[in-house]
Amino acid sequence: MSQMDLAQRLLEINGAGTLQQLRTIREEVQERVSSLLREEYRVVPVVEALNELHDALIRRVLTLAEQDTARMGLVAPPVPYAYFLFGSGGRGEQTLASDQDSGLVYGDCADPEEAELAAAYFGALGSRIVASLFEIGYPPCEGNVIVSNPEWCLPISAWEQKVDRWFAEPSWENVRYLLILADARLLAGDAELGRRWKGRYIGDMMSHADIARRMLENTLRHKVLIGVFGQLFVEHYGENAGSLDVKYGAYIPMVNIFRLLAMRADIPATSTLGRIRALREIGALSGDKADEAAWAFEVVLRLRLLASDRDDNGQWAGSGKLRSAVLDKEEKAPLKKALRICRRLQRQLEKEMQRRFGGR
Amino acid sequence: MLKKSLLGLGALLLLFPTMAFAADGDPSAATLNMGLNALWILVAAILVLLMQGGFILLETGSTRMKNAGHVAGKTIFTVGLASLVYWAVGYGITFGGDASESLNKFMGIGNFFFDPSILAGEGDSYPATIFFIFQLAFAAVSLSIAWGGFAERAKLSVYLIFTIVFAAVIYPIIAHWIWGGGWLAADGAQDYAGSTVVHLTGAMAAFAATILLKPRIGKFNKDGSANEILGHNQVFTSLSVLLLWVGWFGFNAGSAVSVGEGFFGYVAFTTQLGAAGGAVSALLISWLVKGKADIPSMLNGALAGLVAITASCAFVEPWAAVVIGLIAGVLVFVSAQFFEKIRVDDPISAMSVHGAAGVWGTLANGLFATQKLVDQVGVGKAGLFYGGGGEQLWVQFLSVVVCGAFAFAVSFVVLWVIKQVSGLRVTEEQEIIGLDLSEHGTYGYPEALKRAGTNTTSL
Repeated sequence: MSQMDLAQRLLEINGAGTLQQLRTIREEVQERVSSLLREEYRVVPVVEALNELHDALIRRVLTLAEQDTARMGLVAPPVPYAYFLFGSGGRGEQTLASDQDSGLVYGDCADPEEAELAAAYFGALGSRIVASLFEIGYPPCEGNVIVSNPEWCLPISAWEQKVDRWFAEPSWENVRYLLILADARLLAGDAELGRRWKGRYIGDMMSHADIARRMLENTLRHKVLIGVFGQLFVEHYGENAGSLDVKYGAYIPMVNIFRLLAMRADIPATSTLGRIRALREIGALSGDKADEAAWAFEVVLRLRLLASDRDDNGQWAGSGKLRSAVLDKEEKAPLKKALRICRRLQRQLEKEMQRRFGGR
Repeated sequence: MLKKSLLGLGALLLLFPTMAFAADGDPSAATLNMGLNALWILVAAILVLLMQGGFILLETGSTRMKNAGHVAGKTIFTVGLASLVYWAVGYGITFGGDASESLNKFMGIGNFFFDPSILAGEGDSYPATIFFIFQLAFAAVSLSIAWGGFAERAKLSVYLIFTIVFAAVIYPIIAHWIWGGGWLAADGAQDYAGSTVVHLTGAMAAFAATILLKPRIGKFNKDGSANEILGHNQVFTSLSVLLLWVGWFGFNAGSAVSVGEGFFGYVAFTTQLGAAGGAVSALLISWLVKGKADIPSMLNGALAGLVAITASCAFVEPWAAVVIGLIAGVLVFVSAQFFEKIRVDDPISAMSVHGAAGVWGTLANGLFATQKLVDQVGVGKAGLFYGGGGEQLWVQFLSVVVCGAFAFAVSFVVLWVIKQVSGLRVTEEQEIIGLDLSEHGTYGYPEALKRAGTNTTSL
């Protein structure tokens, strides 16, 4: 996709007045990206362009949703808000079929009455955003990490209390929430408020031994799908027999590893490649290791994108599972190499865990 | 108390064989020897019969709840029916001595409706009654192996008809060939306790059945990929393997049919090593290949180790017993995947556990049999690795091919005829509702399953 193309598309998005228009633009862009991927384009520029488009689409939806909410007669309270993306959106790694993982934070109000009004307003706005995004083809997050959920749409003071509680009680679930926050990226709204919110927990996480241990465990939870004989662990049964779970067997393990390393080094970048670059700059990864890691991640990212396609109803769907038919021999070799690199990184982390925490 | 005094008596007799001559009127050494043999063989026969408990749990645990009562109950029924048929016909075909010399190469005649003398005769090393029970238990085991290929879809009437043919003709003829003085016995085929006679025969019948019955509903998708139909109780399956493992000491060590100088102890010893090897290697290979250590694979591995060592337990050294078991464990894992790939639905892996491992165990004699042990048993020659050349291996190969082909062909023909005449398989509705209800009218787990067809399709 050329720069011209992209700029043109972004303009179209910003000028779109209805969800239907946005949906059409998205469809066209995705068709184009889908064919680009198959033509062996380098994956990184494609993913970057695709995510710029996703970002633009979501921002436009936010604007339209604000207008809709105003039309419903709700008055915006005099406090700023910030809209965050989590998950692949937060990392700038959305595929053709990503769901919505989002959070909203707004400024504290002067008095309780105003606070109540603000809660009602942002609740309505959140619901509107989620419904609109659904209309243009972004299904809601299955884990309910989404702005229409009141737990993820809060004033900053409530957010801070909540995060403090997670720190105080690092149960498996709470640590998972903290890991979700680590990928948060401000997409729209008040930058100052966003910085304040992120600053509250970033940099603090790894100083808690308990949390560090649990994060390590959580990070290593997904096994890389390659066996000692270099064989891929494909699905044996069912409709997906013969396919490889690229998402949980390759992509997520790599994301997890570099998220953890980045958090430990206080790196604010949220994209995996950005994290690898930053780790190299501060010397946490040698040049060779960083190149190798980036190469492996690109291989996996490309296959992850290939794993999303249209389903029978014409909807974009990403099971994260790659049919073996898509994987020809030429693609298998680099994938296996990438998985071996990933497994080696996991092992290193595992060993470190044994050393630091005396094993499980 | 009784056990203790018997043990004491046995030990004393072994240490001081002259004690038996101590005084006039006391039993002779021969009588005591006979008595000890009789005791051991009857204990072994009971152990082998108890293996049916293993088959009940194995087959039930590996299949779904809606068929549990049927799967479990039919085993007892067919053991009963097979006993009557074997008594009337089968035993005579295996061991009857009235056939002419040429016919005897193929089958025996005589002793139909077996009416044994009530005591051991002069010079007998055990009573015929006990030998009959022991042999009957083997026939019943072979039959229960075959049922694996019928599971969850055959009509009850098919069980009835097939039991009659199997216990009267198929099993007795093969047993005659190798154990009853038939043509393979003359060739020196080594199958100590029945890797071929019992296990391969049963597996081949299962294979024929599974081909004719076709896969269970929902096992394979249109595109050829398989679905996993999980057994409903892994605890049953594990317990079944323990029962079978223990019963196997009767199967193998009992096949010594004597106490004598204690050779049956050596047989028990190699049996344990083979089973252990199979369990260990199967778990490890499934772990390495699939990334998850698969419990059903491991259980099949233990059984495959037992099946394989069954032919060779009296002919091989301890290290070879371990190797035979280890290889059997890997083989059963590979074989199960192979059968699934060629779209044969084998719910309890009968073909892999009893077929593939049975073939391997029989062939293993041709490789690992030692001269010393061959002399001890008195059958065949030493194997390839012990200076015997390829001769024994060829005999073993021949016995596998011929017995396997015969068992498969006859089973296939019999089942094909049944299929043409009355059909083998229950209707689709019956299969979906479950055989408990369609064949017997009540569920094995009545409280867990609704009676009317409201919620049964999702089971």
